Amino acid sequence: MTTPEMIHRSDAAVSIELQTPDMTINIGPQHPSTHGVLRLIANIDGERVRDVEPVIGYMHRGYEKISEVRTYAQITALVNRIDWVSGFANEVPFVVGVERLVGIEAPPRAQYIRMILSELARISSHLVFMSSYPLELGATTPLMHALREREYILELIEEVTGGRFHPNFNRVGGVKPNYGGGSTTKKQSMDLPAGFFERTRSAMDRMDKICEDIESLVAGNELFKMRTVGVGVIPADKALEYGLTGPNLRASGVAYDLRKVENYLPYDEVDFDVAAQNGGDCYDRYVVRLEEIRESAKIVRQAVDKIPSGPLQAKVPRVLKVPKGQVYSRSENPKGEFGFYIVSEGGKMPYRLKIRSSSFSNLSILPWILKGQLLPDLVAIMGSLDFVLGDVDR
Amino acid sequence: MTDASDNSAVETAAADTGSSDAETVSDLDAYAASLVESLGALGSTVEFDTVRIHVANDRWVETINAANKDLELFSWLSAIDWSKEVEVGDPVDDVDALDERFEVLCRLSSVKNGDGAIFVTVLPKVDPTIASLEPTIAGAGWHEREAHEMFGIEFDGNPNLIPLYLPDDFIGNPLLKSYPLISREVKPFPGDVDVEPMPQGDADAIEPDTLPEDEEDAS
Repeated sequence: MTTPEMIHRSDAAVSIELQTPDMTINIGPQHPSTHGVLRLIANIDGERVRDVEPVIGYMHRGYEKISEVRTYAQITALVNRIDWVSGFANEVPFVVGVERLVGIEAPPRAQYIRMILSELARISSHLVFMSSYPLELGATTPLMHALREREYILELIEEVTGGRFHPNFNRVGGVKPNYGGGSTTKKQSMDLPAGFFERTRSAMDRMDKICEDIESLVAGNELFKMRTVGVGVIPADKALEYGLTGPNLRASGVAYDLRKVENYLPYDEVDFDVAAQNGGDCYDRYVVRLEEIRESAKIVRQAVDKIPSGPLQAKVPRVLKVPKGQVYSRSENPKGEFGFYIVSEGGKMPYRLKIRSSSFSNLSILPWILKGQLLPDLVAIMGSLDFVLGDVDR
Repeated sequence: MTDASDNSAVETAAADTGSSDAETVSDLDAYAASLVESLGALGSTVEFDTVRIHVANDRWVETINAANKDLELFSWLSAIDWSKEVEVGDPVDDVDALDERFEVLCRLSSVKNGDGAIFVTVLPKVDPTIASLEPTIAGAGWHEREAHEMFGIEFDGNPNLIPLYLPDDFIGNPLLKSYPLISREVKPFPGDVDVEPMPQGDADAIEPDTLPEDEEDAS
């Protein structure tokens, strides 16, 4: 019955050359899933992404240039606006770098306060991820839970520093100086607000609870897993080549955490684990951040128990004389390695300040990782990298 | 204070608190020396816990690629404009002795421990061109684009040196010292008001107040 000329209908369908010309679509810069103003020029073939060209710079504020006409004390106010989701954590590497140049060290109590607030900033940053990432994949409920809990963290940061997002609390040689009142009032000591430690402990208990809730609500969710498991796999060697750091690198099986290897805050006095996964996919990046909230809560609890008493600031000249020299100071920001290369020529302002921001490098892998992916996965992969455009553009 | 005393104070502090690979002065110096020897670099500078390896600009790519085997993580690449005349900020300490040049810097880090170094090479102010790292380290591509638009440095072999931050029709290289900051032209340096001494108390130093003994939050 069948002759060689006759072909089956399914084969016939395949043999039809579907005309799907490449299409260039523009995503952003005003797009809810781009965390700010990121524009992607995507060249797509049907549902497949052929290549993507990210266009950045919409948030470029020229901090490296402005820093050349600002004193070291004024730059602290600039740097916490780089990654505004974790403002406090940005200030630490800068002041530590200047302290290394000047040759002073912050008193132990100030270092512990820096450590507590850095970890609170990390929790708050990761909670934003916990809320926004499922939202990008279509799950709206986790947003409410995670942002509600973030308020407890922001309140703690606010009651110490006075600011929810831009603390400007670090000074060279310590944290906010313990004198106050201006020229007419007597010098007075200022310390952490009364009851801060009790509220911090109860907030950390809430964080453990929300981690459990999120884990059962999102991480175990089958739909969420279908969107993320095995999607956007970044092998370790590619991650290192593109300079990925932080949770994005640790999800690819490289347990690299500057809190363990870089000596900038007394992290060696507290006990915590580096959260890492081996898969390198979107799901693993999510799990690593969830684990990091737990580990940060662990660090905060220990730091609150161990915090020594003492002054909040070392003896610092009123007019800061920074000697000639070049220093690279880096820290583990919630989003990865955050560093400042300070070139001092002995003046009151740096000669050059290079800001190494984590999101810039984390974003630079986008053209490579998005090549050949399905268009709906583009949003899933982009969201899993957890970048902030202020951190990208500086 | 002199540079040397500052430096040793910082190094000692690092050793006291016991970082994972016990960085002391001699350790960092020895590490820098071993890098210089194994890579055939020109020399090294170790100051403030920061290792700088000086590389000849014609051996830039070769050296970075060799170093990248041990220092796996490409961290960043940028440049410094050493210029005698500056439109913004303070000029260098000793203007007459300054050798006008660009310095291109590339930071590589190890992910096994705290090791890492900044590789430095010198480029002339006129027609600065250097081979691109992009073919071997893809992540350097964006950093080179940034250095290209901010300093005007050409990276030979980078196919995509289009502006990264600035609009396409922007003229100039903003991070050059000769590039003026317009806001500074119309408004004087705001920090000048901050360096006046306080009306009372000594102008030299802030005395840290000790905390009250019966501190209620201490646990």
